[in-house]
Amino acid sequence: MFDNYRDVDERYVTDTTLVDVEGLHFSLGENDIFRGVDLRIPKGKITAVMGPSGTGKTTLLKLIGGQLVPDAGRICIDGQDVHRLPRRALFRLRRRMGMLFQSGALFSDLSVFENVAFPLRVHTDLPEAMVRDIVLMKLQAVGLRGARNLSPAELSGGMARRVALARAVALDPELVLYDEPFVGQDPISMGVLVQLIKTVNQALGLTAVIVSHDIKETLSIADYVYIIADGQVMAHGTPQTLDVNSDARVKQFVHGEPDGPVPFHYPAPDFYRDILATRGERT
Amino acid sequence: MKRSKMMEFGVGLFVLAGILGMVFLGLRVSGITLGVPQDTFTLQANFANIGGLKSGSRVAMAGVTVGRVSDVELDTEWLDARVTMELDEDLEGKISRDSTASILTSGLLGEQYVGLSVGGDPEMLAEGDTIRDTQQALVLEQLIQQFVSNMTND
Amino acid sequence: MIGYIASLGRGTLEALSALGRAAMFLAQSAVGIPSREGWHLWLRQMHFIGVMSLAIVLVSGLFIGMVLGLQGYTILVDFGAEDALGQMVALSLLRELAPVVAALLFAGRAGSALTAEIGLMKATEQLTSMEMIGVDPLRRIVAPRLWAGFISMPLLTVGFSVVGIWGGYLVGVQWLGVFDGSYWSNMQSNVAFVDDILNGMLKSVVFGLVVTWIAVFQGYDLTPTSEGISRATTRTVVYSSLAVLGLDFVLTALMFGELG
Repeated sequence: MFDNYRDVDERYVTDTTLVDVEGLHFSLGENDIFRGVDLRIPKGKITAVMGPSGTGKTTLLKLIGGQLVPDAGRICIDGQDVHRLPRRALFRLRRRMGMLFQSGALFSDLSVFENVAFPLRVHTDLPEAMVRDIVLMKLQAVGLRGARNLSPAELSGGMARRVALARAVALDPELVLYDEPFVGQDPISMGVLVQLIKTVNQALGLTAVIVSHDIKETLSIADYVYIIADGQVMAHGTPQTLDVNSDARVKQFVHGEPDGPVPFHYPAPDFYRDILATRGERT
Repeated sequence: MKRSKMMEFGVGLFVLAGILGMVFLGLRVSGITLGVPQDTFTLQANFANIGGLKSGSRVAMAGVTVGRVSDVELDTEWLDARVTMELDEDLEGKISRDSTASILTSGLLGEQYVGLSVGGDPEMLAEGDTIRDTQQALVLEQLIQQFVSNMTND
Repeated sequence: MIGYIASLGRGTLEALSALGRAAMFLAQSAVGIPSREGWHLWLRQMHFIGVMSLAIVLVSGLFIGMVLGLQGYTILVDFGAEDALGQMVALSLLRELAPVVAALLFAGRAGSALTAEIGLMKATEQLTSMEMIGVDPLRRIVAPRLWAGFISMPLLTVGFSVVGIWGGYLVGVQWLGVFDGSYWSNMQSNVAFVDDILNGMLKSVVFGLVVTWIAVFQGYDLTPTSEGISRATTRTVVYSSLAVLGLDFVLTALMFGELG
């Protein structure tokens, strides 16, 4: 059923860029997280941003969402520079974005229903009956219409993430940012999430950015992939081209090899000398 | 829905209890009276020494509280203490010109208050008049000093 | 030596910037007209912060009043002045003990819970996601809590005083045999509404603001890890207790001392 969606995509979607990241520099405290990152996220496609842990992938999403301000460089969404917008315009722009957080980030004091209704109530003046219809539609799409009266604490991790997905797309956004959607899921909920992200993207024709380090799942749904390491874009291309990329670092990451350019060992003195050291030299 | 109603009820009860508590403190603990302050009748008296008398102290007649001290200040002309008292309105025209105001102490270490005792003069004091005949407060140190000097004189 | 001076300077700068952050945080969250929904959120917090703290405050108030009655009686009876018990119990409660002890209990009961709750919201990215949806968490999460704490505190203090005075009555009059009439009349002639009761309430309003402010700020400003949350919770209780006791001295000096 999903096999032919790519064809549909290619017919409708031209290569217009929705999010354009240029020369991004950002540092947190003493750590340089990004040292000149350029990304182009095409409209209507699923773009994955991958990289080892600690490369600031979540930070990238926060920069796109305008919650953090870069030290240099700019991020344009649909031609608007996110960090030059006045506060009000930024909030208007955020209305067109949805974000799925790693932990789901459901509001713990609201029920599942109210969580999904939250963006609708904030941004629209729809009558209650219509809010209800929309919420039930979104919950139906993620298969949790029956869980509407539960509180977030009663949901499993995978269910919470599905509710969060329903909330992220409640306002039919143009851009959805996924922060590590597959982390810590059992195989079944992982499969469900992969399928959901695919379906939602197809059904709503939206642009998705997935930040992840789960290679298999991400590569299976992404149209285009950026790999970030050491604050720079290490490689980019379609999943097929990356699979055959000969760069040692890319190979190690894509194929999940334990040792390679990224060493298995944390820098340490020579093992033999360390273990045979006399008592006094031990630290 | 039901839970939220219960919560509203609880908060309402909480606020109401707070207000009632405040009323209790006002009426029962500080003893203020509700309603418009009653019309009062003001008298003044000068004392050589007021001891621990202060604004708010009781004014009593035959042991019954009939008013409060509203102000205590130094009379710069005579360099003594000028005490303004507010008495119940019904006493207006019933306190004779030769009445005595003395500063008394309730119990050995208790609070000081003004005691009024009425004389026999047919002329009565009017609003704002000054009581001429006053007795200053008994100051414990002075009493002891007198006692000690009497002892040594003997 | 140089290193010591440098670290002292750095510490001062950090403390100052934290204070600045806290002040801006207070200004941004407390200012603004609450919406109809804000009213409902405030109500929830009144329930959580105020009503739920009532039990511990009232029980403590009762015991403190009873202890005051007992201690006061044994001291006053030596001077034959046990009639002054009512005034002693009422004045110590109204001026000092009710505002201070209720604020300390409040910091322990509601303040730490507020810090942990907001900290957990931060750790689970609820605050960030709220911002992404386009709602200012300062207005939606922080403001109702701030106002609820600010309004609950004086109400709790009134409850503490009333129950405490009643506790003193139980011990002094019912148990130790102080004359009923003199317990109340001595109290009435020595407690002034404005000087004693309203000043005590003013203290509790200030304490309520400070404790809630510290609690929500610590929650909002913490490092979002489990260790960060537990540290911030401890900091809330420590800082607010110190702030309450320190401010109590300042306020007492202004209200009842020669300064005022």
